[in-house]
Amino acid sequence: MKRTILLSMAVSTLLLHAGDVQALEKRVTLLEEALRVSQDSKIDEAMSSKSNSFNQKAYIPDISLILNASAVNRNIDNSLYEGYGIDGFVDTTDEIAFNKNKGFNFNYAEFAMHSAVGPYFDADAIFHLSSDSFEIEEAYITTKKMPYNLQVKAGTFKSGFGRINTIHQHAQHFVSQPLVYEAMFGVEGIKDPGLSVNWVVPTDTYIMLGAEVLQGTNELSFGDSESLLYTGYVKGGFDLGDYTTALWGVSIAKGKTDTNKDSTVYGADFTLKQTIDSYSSVTWQSEYLYRDRDNVIQAGIYTQLLYDVNSNWEVGARYDALTKNSPTYADDLKKYSAIVQYKPFEFTKLRLQYTHDNSKIFNGERKSLNEFALEYVVEIGAHGAHAF
Amino acid sequence: MKKLILMALFSSVVFAKVNVATTYQYLGEVVKAIGGEYVKVDVLANPKLDPHFIVPKPSYIGKLRREDLLIINGGQLEIGWLPPLLKSANNEKVNAGGDGFVDVSRVVHMIDKPKSVSRAYGDIHPDGNPHFATDIHSIIPIAKLIARKLESIDTEHKAIYKSNLKKFITKYKALINLLNKQMKSCKIHKVVQYHELFNYALHANGIKSVGNLEPLPGISPSSKHTLMLINLMKKENIKTILQDVYHEKKTAKFIADKTGAKISIVPHDVGATCEANTLENFYKSIAKQLCH
Repeated sequence: MKRTILLSMAVSTLLLHAGDVQALEKRVTLLEEALRVSQDSKIDEAMSSKSNSFNQKAYIPDISLILNASAVNRNIDNSLYEGYGIDGFVDTTDEIAFNKNKGFNFNYAEFAMHSAVGPYFDADAIFHLSSDSFEIEEAYITTKKMPYNLQVKAGTFKSGFGRINTIHQHAQHFVSQPLVYEAMFGVEGIKDPGLSVNWVVPTDTYIMLGAEVLQGTNELSFGDSESLLYTGYVKGGFDLGDYTTALWGVSIAKGKTDTNKDSTVYGADFTLKQTIDSYSSVTWQSEYLYRDRDNVIQAGIYTQLLYDVNSNWEVGARYDALTKNSPTYADDLKKYSAIVQYKPFEFTKLRLQYTHDNSKIFNGERKSLNEFALEYVVEIGAHGAHAF
Repeated sequence: MKKLILMALFSSVVFAKVNVATTYQYLGEVVKAIGGEYVKVDVLANPKLDPHFIVPKPSYIGKLRREDLLIINGGQLEIGWLPPLLKSANNEKVNAGGDGFVDVSRVVHMIDKPKSVSRAYGDIHPDGNPHFATDIHSIIPIAKLIARKLESIDTEHKAIYKSNLKKFITKYKALINLLNKQMKSCKIHKVVQYHELFNYALHANGIKSVGNLEPLPGISPSSKHTLMLINLMKKENIKTILQDVYHEKKTAKFIADKTGAKISIVPHDVGATCEANTLENFYKSIAKQLCH
């Protein structure tokens, strides 16, 4: 009895085995057939459609476009505002880049591209287009594989001098530049063809050293066509607990004026940021610039407080003062600004700024300027995040 | 004397740890579990903050400058805060494409990949939902990837990483079984949430997310949308609102008042809530919060 059961069991497993093999064989045949059909259909496809082998769509750089337009009301007429000066610093401005007209302005369309060139370099280009000009705002390459973690930048770019010189108008927290920057470098800051080297010190606390050699075309502080401009800066930051950070920096820019006289600008800045939650923070930022331009000492400061209320609203105030001027000029030049910004979505900013400014000279006469500017800034496309 | 120098040299080799940074806390926990005493882990993001908008701190640059390995969540979750830090740190090893750059989203099957991408639909993630950390099933493949990477850059301790991985897998397989069993008795089948943050955990447990408090990803709640949601919740008899730790809670409270629903604070990362203080407790807490 036992034997028969065992035998039948053995036979049945054998049978089952044979059945399994058959089933497997059938599946293999089916798979082979499917593979053949798919190969055939690929051949059909290759016969009927064109090759895509030279398509380079995947290599399109990150492209973005930023639009900035505004409505402005001020107590100075357009004809008078054109070519305003800053007492003791600027005789007449030759170009007003932003919010020039009382009434409506289309300030610019900023077209930016970014991509890796290859394993060794990244390339960035930022073009400013306005109704009557095309301007290369910045265009440079950055190294990626330099020894000792050095980072070299070459091309034309905004200098790393100071706290805010590299930040474009649309990314700044106020519609207008701080007065001291405007007085010493103009609204577009130090922007030159040249070369820069940065090095981050390998410590837990962030310290970055930088040096630049630039063409020195900035006419307000430098501008000698034969001499280069040298800048150097040290920037650092540290955490004070989980939610508080401090940033500091000291800078120097040394060049020659358009009359070939020595000109040096020193800068010091300090920022304290208190994070409240993901969407709310308070930032206090101050910066002092001191200039020795052919033995004429001038200096100025700004200090600003910004409160990010939530992901939609930000309010801020800034105090600007030119604290030192040439002996024959006024030394009570001040500017007050207040701003409210509404951001319904990450890439959309609406901002309203009120400015009271007593530093400006219109047609040889110093007059207080009161201004309201309502501006929108939108970003479309692939625009990288901004640094702190 | 010679012996002493040799010993000093040897010990410095022995104690040379692999420097690893992870963007989020849960990844740091996995690295610690696999790497043990042979790795030094720096976690960048504060788990109490929105993972999309981590406030960049200068100290991150100092850290990134020195790391051998950077492990990110990927799926574009870090796109709003990490790239400028990497650029400033200028550390070839951990830049995207470097040998020490690991994107764990590559080993996870991403869900909710949008069929069409436009910012008109809000701040969507074109590669799919990057919040897979909330599903415990993601953690084993992620641990495998991290172990492989550690083995490849620190061959000396390969065996240890392998055995730690084995232990990790055994532990988390048991936890998966435990939580699966626990979730079977869950009476909740439909929820609403603030942002599509918990879809992976919900998906794994057969719970349906019927709506979001934000009208579109990255857009703050509006009264119109909130009223619509209240009506929907009443109609579908939804009694659970899943709330993260970092968004405002006023909207959820308002909806809860009108519908009688309960607000569950669900952690999105290890350390987001007190209860989620370890990786294990993070998953236990998610299971608990989804179902009570």
